[in-house]
Amino acid sequence: RAAPSLARRGPAAAGPEAAAGSAASAVVLPERLQRREAERQQGVERQRQKKEAQVVKEEQSEFFLGASAREREAVEALLAAGALEEAAARLQALQKLLTDSVRFLAPYEVRQGQEAVARLQGELAARREQLQPKKKFAFRALKKEAAPGSAPRPAEPAPPDLAAPDPDLAEGDPGGPPLCGFSGARDEELELGGAELLQRDVLLSELRGCRVLLRGNPNTLRVRDCSGCTVLCGPVSTSVLVDGCSDCLLAMACQQLRTHRTHGCRVYVQVTSRAVIEACSDVSFAPYSWSYPGIERDFESSGLDRNRNNWNLVDDFDWLATDQPSPNWSLIPEQERVTSWD
Amino acid sequence: MGLLTILKKLREKERELRLLVLGLDNAGKTTLLKRLNGEDVGGTSPTLGFNIKTLEHRGFRLHLWDVGGQRSLRSYWRNYFESTDALLWVVDSSDRQRLRLCATELRALLREERLAGAALLVFANKQDLPGALPAADIREALELDSIRSHRWRLQGCSAFTGRDLLPGLDWLLDELGARLCPPD
Ligand SMILES: Nc1nc2c(ncn2[C@@H]2O[C@H](COP(=O)(O)OP(=O)(O)OP(=O)(O)O)[C@@H](O)[C@H]2O)c(=O)[nH]1
Ligand SMILES: [Mg+2]
Repeated sequence: RAAPSLARRGPAAAGPEAAAGSAASAVVLPERLQRREAERQQGVERQRQKKEAQVVKEEQSEFFLGASAREREAVEALLAAGALEEAAARLQALQKLLTDSVRFLAPYEVRQGQEAVARLQGELAARREQLQPKKKFAFRALKKEAAPGSAPRPAEPAPPDLAAPDPDLAEGDPGGPPLCGFSGARDEELELGGAELLQRDVLLSELRGCRVLLRGNPNTLRVRDCSGCTVLCGPVSTSVLVDGCSDCLLAMACQQLRTHRTHGCRVYVQVTSRAVIEACSDVSFAPYSWSYPGIERDFESSGLDRNRNNWNLVDDFDWLATDQPSPNWSLIPEQERVTSWD
Repeated sequence: MGLLTILKKLREKERELRLLVLGLDNAGKTTLLKRLNGEDVGGTSPTLGFNIKTLEHRGFRLHLWDVGGQRSLRSYWRNYFESTDALLWVVDSSDRQRLRLCATELRALLREERLAGAALLVFANKQDLPGALPAADIREALELDSIRSHRWRLQGCSAFTGRDLLPGLDWLLDELGARLCPPD
């Protein structure tokens, strides 16, 4: 049945039933078309399998999310009721569920799961101590001393997502000259002072070989597509975004540091919440040590907490393994750090 | 369970809303939610997965799902579409370079079947910054006026100062409340 209709409609319109490739169709179709049709069918099949795998993965992940939410609630209820042994057993089951599911969960789902387990473990320990004050209870530190690249992370590295766009592709469009900042300069010394910077959004873009001194307190700072530059900046109230830079020396204090698509840069930073990198390589960190007359006042107006500095806790969005440090960033050894900024 | 209890449970359920909060990284999603919830915003880290916050407002329980917007997380957004009553799209109004990308990502979401029934609330955030585009420019850049598929509203605001966060939310509750509990 397939052969005549196939011959009439041509290979492009052939339904899946024609894919069985009956001997009859071989007579009608020239070899070239036949080969092309076979390739197309293989492609369709691959797509179908891929889709099926995806669906299974999603279903499993949904199952996990549902089941783990229920388990978490149960553990919380048991803890509240003081049924600690039961809570401990359920918690163990939750951990097992998580371990069993790691394979098909998104990396951040694993991380969330692990954080939930760690939190409940902490609560369990606290409840234990509360309910048995006599018994000496040794807390195991949940938060380890920060070692390079060993922040708590989920177990598995992220599987490469084939559908994701090229991570090195630029996300931004070149804009006009910034309201506050510099763009397009070559081999220049550039400076802005306190009055110009105070609570502004500052942009440095497409600078080559420049030395930029920002003595003051911006609200936020973006450094885009710069190469071979030195950028020294006072306390920034909110986030600093570094995107598409290479071979730069950067120094700033800020609430968040978000570094994307950047390679071969050294960053001297005080960050009060967290530094993250994405699609980066060869980025190294050291504590913020640049200073200038008046920096105290700028710290004050920035609202940053001077006592909080997580410069050595860097989350790499491309590297979520717990057991190995990310190869994309490192700490600058003390003896190699810049000591004089002039 | 008596009939009355069941009815009451249903009624309670109806006043629960699931809001999905999305936007590019650094837009201010997590800060905005913390600000709404009266929490300290200084310690906000970039979101490596997602956060859930439950707020009570005008007798509604709002479950806000805040999913990280860094590029490598965007492909996971779709895992959160199911049963969404409203999409909150947060824009960094000062990020002129990524405004086009921001528009593209929003367009893609509006084509999602599983978000078809959701109301859209766009927050033009970071209005406190001198370089921020005013809400009217954001409206144009995101081509909001051409949206036919969703009921939408644009609200300029600042999660940093807390300015104008509530009017947007109030519009949303009017919009969703009218649908959930139509006047007799
Ligand atoms: N000036 C100003 N800064 C803001 C505002 N809202 C947020 N920020 C800052 O912007 C940065 C990013 O805020 P987050 O809330 O972490 O952004 P997010 O959208 O959750 O980012 P992801 O979690 O990566 O998706 C932080 O440093 C905030 O302090 C605002 O209204 N004005
Ligand atoms: Mg966030």
